Amino acid sequence: MNIDVSTIFQIAGIGIIVAMIHTVLKQMGKEDMAHWVTVIGFVVVLFMVVRLLNDLFQEIKTIFLFQ
Amino acid sequence: MLKLIGAALVLFAGTMIGFVQAARFAERPRQIRQLIHALQRLETEIGYGQTPLPDALRRMSLVLPPPLSGMFADIAGELRSERSSTVNESWERVLGEKWGATSMRAGEKEAMLRLGASLGGSGRDDQLKHVRLAVLQLQDEEAAAREEQQRYEKLSRSLGVLGAALVVILML
Repeated sequence: MNIDVSTIFQIAGIGIIVAMIHTVLKQMGKEDMAHWVTVIGFVVVLFMVVRLLNDLFQEIKTIFLFQ
Repeated sequence: MLKLIGAALVLFAGTMIGFVQAARFAERPRQIRQLIHALQRLETEIGYGQTPLPDALRRMSLVLPPPLSGMFADIAGELRSERSSTVNESWERVLGEKWGATSMRAGEKEAMLRLGASLGGSGRDDQLKHVRLAVLQLQDEEAAAREEQQRYEKLSRSLGVLGAALVVILML
């Protein structure tokens, strides 16, 4: 299993930064923008996770279906 | 190695964008304050000195710091030049050209344009009234600008750094 751990760290970093931006924006009274930033960050992370899941399913197919 | 340099550059650029934005927020109330002082000087020139408008504008430009001084110097120069345009025309033209160089927004421009429409075209008392009205409007704008500065100066600074960090992490 040579899956690289860096993607997971990347997702963690995005989470931290988005949380900080959310806090800063909320403190200054721009809550609508804060929520948009959170949603966009979530979507970006979701795409990364989808790519990883795609890899996982390909792996499962190659193991169990004997192409 | 190259990646690291790129990341550092992106981080630096984002931070600088944030700082420039914050500086604009900080500069706006100061420039409005300078404009108010200049208009009060103009009021004195009109009311007590009865100075001709080109001279009064030139003296205003002498006491103002750079981005605003050029504006009044240009208007004064245009009034002195051979081409005979009205005060209103040259006022509007110069303001339209030079307003982008200042940190001020549309509200102040509107007040200044309205002042230019009545300047040099009517009696002394009428002009004085219009100058005072413009000063009052600018004071309102200054209060609003100060409030905005307190709210958004730190925000834009930290937002620049955080946005740059986000881009770096996304591209790493």
